[in-house]
Amino acid sequence: MLQFKLVLLGDSSVGKSSIVNRFVKDSFDEFRESTIGAAFLSQTVTIKDDDQDVTVKFEIWDTAGQERYKSLAPMYYRNSNAALVVYDITQADSLEKAQSWVHELKNKVDDNNLVIYLVGNKVDLTKDDEEKRVVDRDVAEKYAQENGLLFNEVSAKTGEGIQQIFQTIGENLYEVRKKENTTNNSNMANRAHGQVDIQLPRPSTNDSTSCCS
Amino acid sequence: MLSPERRTSMAERRPSFANFSGNSNHIDTLMVPHLAGIEDPLPETTPEKVDVLIAGTGLVESVLAAALAWQGSNVLHVDSNDYYGDSAATLTVDQIKNWVNRIHNSKNESEPYKNAKLYISSSNIGPDCKYASRDFGIDLSPKILFAKSDLLSILVKSRVHQYLEFQSLSTFHTYENDSFEKLTNTKQDIFTDQNLTLMTKRNLMKFLKFVLNWEKMPEIWQPYADKSITDFLFNKFKLEKPQVFELVFSIGLCSNMDTKVPLALNRIRRYLVSYDVYGPFPVLYSKYGGAGEVSQGFCRSAAVAGATYKLNEKLYSYNPTTQVATFTDGSKVTVTEKIIMSPTQAPEGNKHVPEQKYEVNRMVCLVEKDCKEWFSEDESAAVVVFPPGSLKSGNKHVVQTLIMGSGSECCPQGTSIWYLSTTESGVRAEMDLDAALEALEISIIRESSEEITNDNDIVQISDDGRPIINSVRLGQSFKEYVPRESVQHLMKLSYTQLTSTPPFDVVNPALFDNDELNNRANSVNKFIPNASDNGIIYTAMPSSEISYDEVVTAAKVLYEKIVGSDDDFFDVDFEDDDNDAMPTGASVNGVINYENAIEDDEEDIQMGEDDSNEFVGEMEI
Repeated sequence: MLQFKLVLLGDSSVGKSSIVNRFVKDSFDEFRESTIGAAFLSQTVTIKDDDQDVTVKFEIWDTAGQERYKSLAPMYYRNSNAALVVYDITQADSLEKAQSWVHELKNKVDDNNLVIYLVGNKVDLTKDDEEKRVVDRDVAEKYAQENGLLFNEVSAKTGEGIQQIFQTIGENLYEVRKKENTTNNSNMANRAHGQVDIQLPRPSTNDSTSCCS
Repeated sequence: MLSPERRTSMAERRPSFANFSGNSNHIDTLMVPHLAGIEDPLPETTPEKVDVLIAGTGLVESVLAAALAWQGSNVLHVDSNDYYGDSAATLTVDQIKNWVNRIHNSKNESEPYKNAKLYISSSNIGPDCKYASRDFGIDLSPKILFAKSDLLSILVKSRVHQYLEFQSLSTFHTYENDSFEKLTNTKQDIFTDQNLTLMTKRNLMKFLKFVLNWEKMPEIWQPYADKSITDFLFNKFKLEKPQVFELVFSIGLCSNMDTKVPLALNRIRRYLVSYDVYGPFPVLYSKYGGAGEVSQGFCRSAAVAGATYKLNEKLYSYNPTTQVATFTDGSKVTVTEKIIMSPTQAPEGNKHVPEQKYEVNRMVCLVEKDCKEWFSEDESAAVVVFPPGSLKSGNKHVVQTLIMGSGSECCPQGTSIWYLSTTESGVRAEMDLDAALEALEISIIRESSEEITNDNDIVQISDDGRPIINSVRLGQSFKEYVPRESVQHLMKLSYTQLTSTPPFDVVNPALFDNDELNNRANSVNKFIPNASDNGIIYTAMPSSEISYDEVVTAAKVLYEKIVGSDDDFFDVDFEDDDNDAMPTGASVNGVINYENAIEDDEEDIQMGEDDSNEFVGEMEI
C-alpha cells in the first residue's frame, strides 16, 4: 500500500473540512476503511494499473483552524505529497486568497513532484441561482493550467466531484512514485535509516505478556 | 479525585458519547474525542471570551495547551514571535539573527536571555552561497528523549508522535585524557571490554543490578544519602574513576561531582531502563529539530481539539478585576480562568516574573564536518560529555555536548551542529565552552584525517600485555597528532539563558504557588499597582536538563492549578485505538517494569560461579 501526506489549504469558511469530511465519511464504497484519529484523517482510494488494484492511502492533514491567523507551523507542510487548495466560488476574493496559498505552498515545500489540486467549492449554491457565482470557472481554470495545478469545481454538500479529486490525486502520485522507483531506488531506503517507531517497543525476549493478547 | 466542578471533557461532550451514555457498556468504547477544529465550522473572529490564555508556544506551554484543549477548556494560545516554539524553537540561520537582535533590543525587564553573540560566515550561508539559511534548524533548547519517559508516554497517548519522526541515538562519549571513550553501557560491552579488569567488571555488574531497584535497598545507599554520588561509587562499590565518570556524567548526565546519591541513582537508572526498549539505544530525538518539533506537534494537537492559535500576538496588559487581556495590536479577550505565560512573553512593565537566578550557558556551532566518526552506523547524532577537570580550563562543571549530523535533517550533508552547554556561570562558563569546542575540533580533525587509515594503529598493547582497542578511531597514539587543517565554522552562537529551575532539578511546584515564594513580589493574588501582569502565572524557563524530563511534570502542575486535578491529564481515547497495541515499554499507565538487557539472562554473564549475594570489595547486602 502506498501512503501519501495530503494537506488542505485555503481561507477559513471555504469548506476545506467539509470536502474532507465528505470524502472520508461517505460510505459509498464499502471496501474503503476510514479512520478518525487525533492526528489526522485517513482514507484510501483504489486505482487501477494494468488490471491490478493498487491501494493508495491518504494521510489528510486539516489546518485545524491554524490558518486563520496565518499560524500554520512548518510541520504542517513538511513532506507533503499533495495539497488541496480550496476556494469558494461564491466569495469574491477567495480565488486570490487561494493563489496566495499556492504561492506560500511552493515556498514551503521543496518538492517538484508536489501535486496541487485547486478546488472551487460550493457549486451547489449556483445550481438554482447562477447569480451567486462570483468566481468565473474559466479564470480559475486558466490560472491552474498556467501554474501546473489540477483543477475542478465541486460541491462538498452534494458530494459532486469530491471522490474524483482524490482519485485523480492518487493516480498522479502513483505515476510519480512509479517513475521515482525506476530512476532512484535509494531515496526511500535512506529515509528508513535509524528511524524508530515509538509505538512499537521492541518485544522483550523474556516477557511472556508481550506476545498477543 | 475528579473535581465535581470540572469541565466536561471533549470525549463527554461528543454526541456519540451523549447518545450512548445511558448504556454503561458503551461508555468505555465510545470515548471518541470531538474534533472541534476539524468537524465544526470555525468562528470567524478572535474569540471574545476564553477559559485560559496561554502566551508562549514553548514545550511546557504547548503540552499544557493540548492537555487543556482535550480536557474541554477553551484555550487561546498566542506567541509574540512569528514562529512556534518560543524558548524551545527550532530556527533557521536568519531567524537566529533576528532572535539575537531581539535580545539585544529587549525591553523586557525580566528578559531571560543575555550575552548573545553571533558569528555567521556570510561567504558560506546566504543567497547564492553554498548553504541557505533554511538548510539549518537550530534548537534553542536542544533535547533528547529517553525511551522510557513520561513525555514519550504522553506523545503516544496523545497521538502527537504521529506528527513526528524519531531517530535513535546510541553513542555517548566520555571525554577523558584527551580522547573520547565510547560508553560501556551494556552487559555485552562490559564483558568484551578489554580495558576492564575482572574485578572492575564484577563491581560494575553489582552496581548495575543494584541501581535498577535501588530504593528497595536502603541499607546500601542510605548511609550515603547526603553524600555525593562519586563518593558513593568510589567507596561503596569500589569502582574506578573511568567507570564512575561514565556512570555519573555520561549515563547519569549529572552536572557536577556533588550530585546527591538518590537524584543521581534515578538519573543513572533512567538511562539503563530506557536501553533496549525500542532497540539497542537509550534515547531518541525527533527529526527536523528537537523541542521545536515537539512543541509544534502539541500545538497542532491542541488546535485539533479546538484551541485557537495566533502568532505575532503580544500581551500588553491584563486586568484581573475585569478579566480583560489587552494585546499590543489593540485586540482584547476576556479570560475567565487563568493566564499562563512564559517569561519570554512578559509584557512591558511586568513585576511578577519569578527571579531567574540560575544560568545555563550555551554555545551552538554549525561546522563543515559530517562528524560521522562520532556516530554509530545508521545514526546521525551523538552525546559527548566533558566531565569535571577534563578540559584545559579546569572545568568544575560538566560540559554536555549534543552533536547532530545531516541525517537529523537539521543541517545539510557534510555539516553538523554542535550544541554545548554548561551550568557554570559567567566568564568561567565561557572558558569552559571554548575549551570544549577546541577539544571537539581537535578530535574531529584527528579522527577524520585521511592519514589515519590503518586500523592496526588503533590497537595498542598496555603495560600488562592486554591489547587496548579504542572504540572510535582515536587513541592515545594520536595524542601528539598536530592538526594541519581547521574546522570551518559556518555559524557560532553563544548565549546565556536564565532559569528559575536549579541545575538538574525538576521544576519546583512552589514556583506556581507564588505566595510561598518571597523572592520578587511574585504573587498571583497580590496585585502591585501599575504592574502590567497582575494575576498572571508564569511558567519556568527550560532548565539545563538535556532530556525532556521536566516538561510533563511542569505542565501537570499547571494543569492541576487550572482544572483542580491532574486525573484527566490527556485522558483521551481515540477511535483508532484498537488498531494500535498500546506500547508495553512506554509505561503508559505509570507502571514501570525494570526489564532490560542488564537484568535478564544472568547466566550468560561469565563471572564464574555467580552468587548474587557475594560482593566483591566491602559490599554487603
